[in-house]
Amino acid sequence: MLKPKQMSKVLLTGHKDVLEPTIETLHDLHALHIEEYVEEDYFHIGTPLSGADEDSKKLLKLRSIASFLGIKKPYPKPINARQLSSELEGKLETLGGVVSGKLGRKSQIEADLKDVQTGMHEVEAFSGIPVNFDLCGGYETLHVFAGTVRKGADVQAGLKRITEEYQFFTGNTGVFILAVPVKHRDQVTELLAEYEFGEVKIPAISGTPDDLISELKNRQDSLTKDLESLSSEIDSVKAEYADFILASEELLSIETQKKEAPLVFATSEHTFVIDGWIPDDEFETVRSRVEEATGNRVYATIVEEPVDEANIPIEYDNPKIVKPMEAVMNLYARPRYHEIDPTTFVFIAFPLFYGLILGDIGYGLILLAISLYGRSKLHGEGWNSLFTVLIYCNIVTLFFGILYGEFLGFPLAGLHGHPGLIPGWDTISLFEGLGGEHITYPIHRTHLVTTLLVLTLLIGVIHINIGLIAGFRNVLVKHGMKAAILEKIAWIVLQVGIFLLLFGMMGFVPSMVPGAVVFALAVIMLVAGEGGTAIMEIPSILSNVLSYSRLLAVGLSSIGIATAVNIMSGMMFDSGGLFIVVAAIIFILGHALNTALSIIAPGLHALRLQYVEFFTKFYEGGGRIYNPFGYNRIYTEE
Amino acid sequence: MAIDIAAATVEQILTNQKGLIAIGAGLAVGLTGLGSAIAEKDIGSAAVGAFTEKEELFGKGLIMTVIPETIVIFGFVIAIMLIL
Repeated sequence: MLKPKQMSKVLLTGHKDVLEPTIETLHDLHALHIEEYVEEDYFHIGTPLSGADEDSKKLLKLRSIASFLGIKKPYPKPINARQLSSELEGKLETLGGVVSGKLGRKSQIEADLKDVQTGMHEVEAFSGIPVNFDLCGGYETLHVFAGTVRKGADVQAGLKRITEEYQFFTGNTGVFILAVPVKHRDQVTELLAEYEFGEVKIPAISGTPDDLISELKNRQDSLTKDLESLSSEIDSVKAEYADFILASEELLSIETQKKEAPLVFATSEHTFVIDGWIPDDEFETVRSRVEEATGNRVYATIVEEPVDEANIPIEYDNPKIVKPMEAVMNLYARPRYHEIDPTTFVFIAFPLFYGLILGDIGYGLILLAISLYGRSKLHGEGWNSLFTVLIYCNIVTLFFGILYGEFLGFPLAGLHGHPGLIPGWDTISLFEGLGGEHITYPIHRTHLVTTLLVLTLLIGVIHINIGLIAGFRNVLVKHGMKAAILEKIAWIVLQVGIFLLLFGMMGFVPSMVPGAVVFALAVIMLVAGEGGTAIMEIPSILSNVLSYSRLLAVGLSSIGIATAVNIMSGMMFDSGGLFIVVAAIIFILGHALNTALSIIAPGLHALRLQYVEFFTKFYEGGGRIYNPFGYNRIYTEE
Repeated sequence: MAIDIAAATVEQILTNQKGLIAIGAGLAVGLTGLGSAIAEKDIGSAAVGAFTEKEELFGKGLIMTVIPETIVIFGFVIAIMLIL
């Protein structure tokens, strides 16, 4: 539980004749993490089994079809793999035909539509001009200008000064067409330049602009309609073939994975060698199954030689209830092989801290409902872990919510004459806390700040020391007793020194001398263990402990927001009339915001206490992922 | 009469130092909050940049980003000590 799964390095050797059944068996067992073979003198990497090429081509085709159809990944009923593989070829052929026809048509329509839109853009500038574009060019004695001039410029008045022989047409957009005799071309060009003439290209088509525009519009409409009907056809193909595509994609992935496996094996002319890692408890099964499948023609053995810890793949070994927390671990780093796997610590501390911070029945229930719903709707390992972690967190939140007696920021029990949400329930004073405060049930966090502050710091001290003890064990395994005492126990001694000094100051201990002595001893141990720089790190133990005050601080800020929302909507509600609606809106929006914050703030802070304050005491991380040869089937079954 | 009012006001100030304490506490939390925010802004943007390149860095980036949060927690502790 506190260690990753124990792994053995194994070698499997045999004749190439039995390579295929070996691969088949290993794939089914899904237990061997294969080490890729790096080519050396004698052995070479193997060649893929026959059919690998075809399968990957089919897979490619299938994937391009899937991306064309835009197939998402639902979770349909698995399809029988054997039956699927027999009908795969034919069905894929048909599907390919159907889809490639549609694909061609779709890109044709899209290209046409683009052309129409470009044409439309060109012609629209001339809308309202009653001239056929045919008549705008090809003259020897006439020159045609088309374009715009500065707003308000009177072109015709200027023209009249040059010549009376011209034709001038203007339309709705301000673009004009002007024809003048060639002999006046230069003069007119100059005149237009004064008016900031901007040329517009005359489209090389025949017809008057308005006719052309309506024609193009019709065409655009019919093309859009075509595209719509085509996409509904595509949708029906998608609906018909989605299951098949997903299942056969999986089937082919598995096939190619198997057939291309020899690429990471070492092979000679007649033999193969597979090198890899197997969890200790699965080795016997793997050996007997492989031997059975190949008629004892494959030899499997455990290699007993020292290996570099960094090369061993890491598989968590946690009870099922703790498993979702592995996602939280993976965010940071997988443990190393000889390290303590802290998943179980995180499983306890993370939801505990989350609950301590949030501690509200209302938010706890809302978030519990959201995460239960999310877990049933969103599949996939990542989502599943995330929601399960949230469920754990919010169960603890409910517990603390009952302890604190809070519901959406309202106190449930009355205090000092202020009534609570539940009539008749009054806070009971239990015993005296720190700084003149009274510990009560339910605990009113806002009235118990000093006591709770000290309590959170104590939680910090406990949490950090668990980390230091785990660190002691890790260093002990790696570097021996002396290093472990100097590097880890010294910090615990340091804390004892600090506490003795504090007690000395407060008068619980008659003198401060014992504290000073213990403190000095700890400093000497640290310097001996970690060198002079350790002195610089001494204040970090204080800031680490103080950091746990966030368990109270973040919670209080959450209460603050909730109370503000409640007061605002309460004031609106009291005004009556239409304000009741406003009050409801403020209440809902405000608490929705605070619910969202209630995932982020307590989550991040609880996480940070694990990562920064706790893990830095013992955890290195950085193990390789155990990725066994095999496949998790989703869409097919054997 | 005027002197009476002045005396009463001084007395009020003396007995009601609550306002000044609240301002002090507010400054302690507010300014440390700003300090955290400025530090987190830089670290956060760098962290986002890093983990778009390499997704495994998310956890480490998150930790780096929330490290300056401690400043505002200290501010909070001071504010509490002021108020109590």
